[in-house]
Amino acid sequence: MHWNHPSRFTRILTGLLALALALPVLFAADPVVNILETGSSLLYPLFNLWVPVYRRQHSNVRITTQSTGSGTGISQSIAGLAQIGASDAYLSNAMEKMHSNMLNIPLAISMQMVNYNLPGLNYRHLKLSGPVLAGIYTGSIRYWNDARIRSLNPGVKLPHHVIIPVHRTDGSGDTFIFTQYLSFSTPSWANQTSYGTSVSWPAVSGGLGAEGNPGMVTAIKDNPYAIAYIGTSFENAIRRDRMGIALLKNRAGNFLLPSARTADAAAAVMVPKTPRDERISLIFAPGRMSYPIINYEYAIVNRQQGSAQTAAALRQLFGWAISRSGGNAPSFMRRVHFVPLPAPVVKLSQAQIAEIQ
Amino acid sequence: MKFRHLIAVLASVVALALLAIVVFLAVYSWPAIRMNGAGFLRRNTWNLGNLYSDPILRHGREVMPGASYGILFLIAGTLLSTLIAVILAIPVGVGAAIFLAEAVPAGMRSWISFFVEMLAAIPSVVFGLWGYVVVIPFLGHHLYPWMAHHLKFIPFFAGHSGSGYGLLTAGLVLCLMIVPLITATLRDALVTQLATQRDASLALGASRFETLWSVLLPGARRVLIGSSILATGRALGETMAVLMISGNALNYLPRNIYSPISTMASFIVSQLDSALQDPTGIAVRSLAEVALVLCVISVVVNGAARLLIYYHGRWSARMA
Amino acid sequence: MASLNPALSTLPLAAPRRRAWRRRIFDACGWGLCGLAFLCLGAATVWILATVVLHGLGALNWKMITQGTVGTGGGLMNAIEGTLILALGGIALALPPGLAAGIYLAEFDTGWLAPVIRFFSDVLVGVPSIVIGYFGYVTLVEDLGWGFSAAAGGIALAIIALPYITRGSEMAIRQVPREMRDAAYALGASDSRVVMSITVPLALPGVLTGVLLALAIAVGETAPLLYTAGWSNFLWNGHLIQEPVGYLTYAIWAFITEPFASAHALAYAAALLVTGFVLVISIFARLALDENTGWRRRMRG
Repeated sequence: MHWNHPSRFTRILTGLLALALALPVLFAADPVVNILETGSSLLYPLFNLWVPVYRRQHSNVRITTQSTGSGTGISQSIAGLAQIGASDAYLSNAMEKMHSNMLNIPLAISMQMVNYNLPGLNYRHLKLSGPVLAGIYTGSIRYWNDARIRSLNPGVKLPHHVIIPVHRTDGSGDTFIFTQYLSFSTPSWANQTSYGTSVSWPAVSGGLGAEGNPGMVTAIKDNPYAIAYIGTSFENAIRRDRMGIALLKNRAGNFLLPSARTADAAAAVMVPKTPRDERISLIFAPGRMSYPIINYEYAIVNRQQGSAQTAAALRQLFGWAISRSGGNAPSFMRRVHFVPLPAPVVKLSQAQIAEIQ
Repeated sequence: MKFRHLIAVLASVVALALLAIVVFLAVYSWPAIRMNGAGFLRRNTWNLGNLYSDPILRHGREVMPGASYGILFLIAGTLLSTLIAVILAIPVGVGAAIFLAEAVPAGMRSWISFFVEMLAAIPSVVFGLWGYVVVIPFLGHHLYPWMAHHLKFIPFFAGHSGSGYGLLTAGLVLCLMIVPLITATLRDALVTQLATQRDASLALGASRFETLWSVLLPGARRVLIGSSILATGRALGETMAVLMISGNALNYLPRNIYSPISTMASFIVSQLDSALQDPTGIAVRSLAEVALVLCVISVVVNGAARLLIYYHGRWSARMA
Repeated sequence: MASLNPALSTLPLAAPRRRAWRRRIFDACGWGLCGLAFLCLGAATVWILATVVLHGLGALNWKMITQGTVGTGGGLMNAIEGTLILALGGIALALPPGLAAGIYLAEFDTGWLAPVIRFFSDVLVGVPSIVIGYFGYVTLVEDLGWGFSAAAGGIALAIIALPYITRGSEMAIRQVPREMRDAAYALGASDSRVVMSITVPLALPGVLTGVLLALAIAVGETAPLLYTAGWSNFLWNGHLIQEPVGYLTYAIWAFITEPFASAHALAYAAALLVTGFVLVISIFARLALDENTGWRRRMRG
């Protein structure tokens, strides 16, 4: 009887099916709250530090973290696909009007670096300004030894090599804050390209697109003469790869490195201006020692959650995240080079967190 | 209901699935089609507009200020990378098919063929991983600079050799993904060709290769064309591998064969999340229009190939 | 002789002797180039497999298959389970219509409907998988409000698997000897009786081979799942909707670009698992179809 063989096929197939159906039943015994966090690749490393620690105290909350870009975070949170949309950008007025249920809750303050890969020169901190970066990203500054870069960096032997500007292809809060810096410092950029989580990048021949902050880190590492904007939570990776970190020109005209001190100085100026819904740009702050690109790292959350259980879990998680003894503890902040929320902002955030129902 | 009709109804799901996709995409993207007009295929801008200002009215529709959708650079990237892939894949595919059909002993043929045709089974994302980890550093740092320097007399080979992400890399990897399709079909056709033709040619004094080249290969011409068109269809729609190695160029046409590009399929993956941020919704619908264009192109290409093969099937059935 | 290829008349036959030398060079070059083409293809296959296997073996360990993903580290148990659920679920959904289409095309190929279904099925194979994913996202995930879910991902994969199962079933059923059917019909059996008791059981191994190939395709897909299945760090909890699932191809795509060694290990291990699974299925299907070892021989015997 040669028809024994097919039945073995069938048995294997049915066995596999049964296994697939049985697995979830075996593992989904106790009631758990599933939380999907998706979005900002800048906030992703921090969430990945938070989640294991938080889970040790709250074993019934299962948090999945995903690095997809702030754009995805915003849109999936609005669509109800994710409970937490992580974003370096707040919602626009138009979006907020359409989706008035959405809260923008700052969880920490972050900075952005401008990084480059100039073989032999990465140990030097080049001085760059908004207008020069705008020139690079519009293609009007094509070579590293362009007069406008040289005049900012006298004494540095810059190579005659084409600059490879790298931009984000995903909808990105990093793009949002970087283009805000360019817009606030360079009128021509404000008029032509403006700012947003996705902008229509001027066509620069040879310019590259990269996915997420990780893609940016890899792109400049692999491509000598490239330049990119990268969130400080990747500063350790940048230092490990020995890439350059630029001194950026602030509103007062000083060239500064991203550091806790320069971020604090900028935050000190901007925090008092924070409105109740906490949607505010901290970019290009006045003040002698203010680093020009700092921003709130937001959790974009719907204030009306489907279940009371999920809402309670979210309130608890966020309450822990923004407290100095919880997620904003220096032990977390230092590892991603973030700055803890100042006390007045913690108050505002707490008020918003209480609205999650 | 008769059994035959029940089966027919169930079977129709296959046809309805395709119909549903095409009709849905057309209906869903209709507002974008009307707004973008014919310029959609000719313009070189994918611009969501200023997302942080308020929508304005244009032709009675809310849009973001500055929004403009054109996909010329995507069409160029898709067609050029496919063109490179197919131009490289046909000679390699034909050569490998001849080698497998004629030079490899019949006993080993099945397994040796299986080994190289295994390439077709490897998932796209694994090709992307390989391209990203291994191929791009090699091409970008070694081969392309050398080519740009020594082969600059060839049009589009000169100029900045870039980073390894780009048109030629996409074309090369796509080529590997489609070669097995051509090789497998052609090898089958060569092996099963009428023995009488082969014997007649050999008896007339032609060498084995001449027999192949002048008798067997022309006999399999239609199979070759059909499988090449199918391979073209596959290259046009490849997504993950291209996404990981093409450089994701935005709004510009490639200057040389090393330039970064984007293709329609990879663009849909990388831009859906951004498009969802447009509060007016026109960006998502424009992206659906990209999917529709891609879908129509692949339906036309595959349809043409199938009709050719069906026709050939009937033709060779009559011959036998 | 009428069926002989007209190209025969153009052969340089009975050529003068000085041409013989040129013919030999043509021959040598021809074989050389064909061999080179074959070598290129073989080398590429070896290169890709070596990359996947070498990196993958370095990354694969017990922890990888027994733990879930934690951020950019941990293991892939969630993704392994998710891949199985999505792929098997997709195949299960595609099997009834796919098999029915195969039966219809092979058994009732008389009217206008069969050629239409065959054509649509063959064209559906060529529709880029991302288009199907986009379709699934807008209809299932957003409009029906299923969210990222096993159901949405499974249906997307089912549409992709459909034409493969259709084609495989049709081929297998066509292999069943004509006489078997004729005998059954002669005994007065109905359509349903002949198909369900004679043809399909006889063709079952071939149908299963087609199913296996479709399974290999489904396991290797990424693009249609990105916007339908989502991603999860945890094992599936049994909810068909509103509950994202992880899968191996996502891990390859998402983690290879992270600048951390632990993330790369996840990507390489996932690549090895996916490639290994796909190749094992292909080899299995190949053995089943092989002229000498497979079921075709047994059927003939």
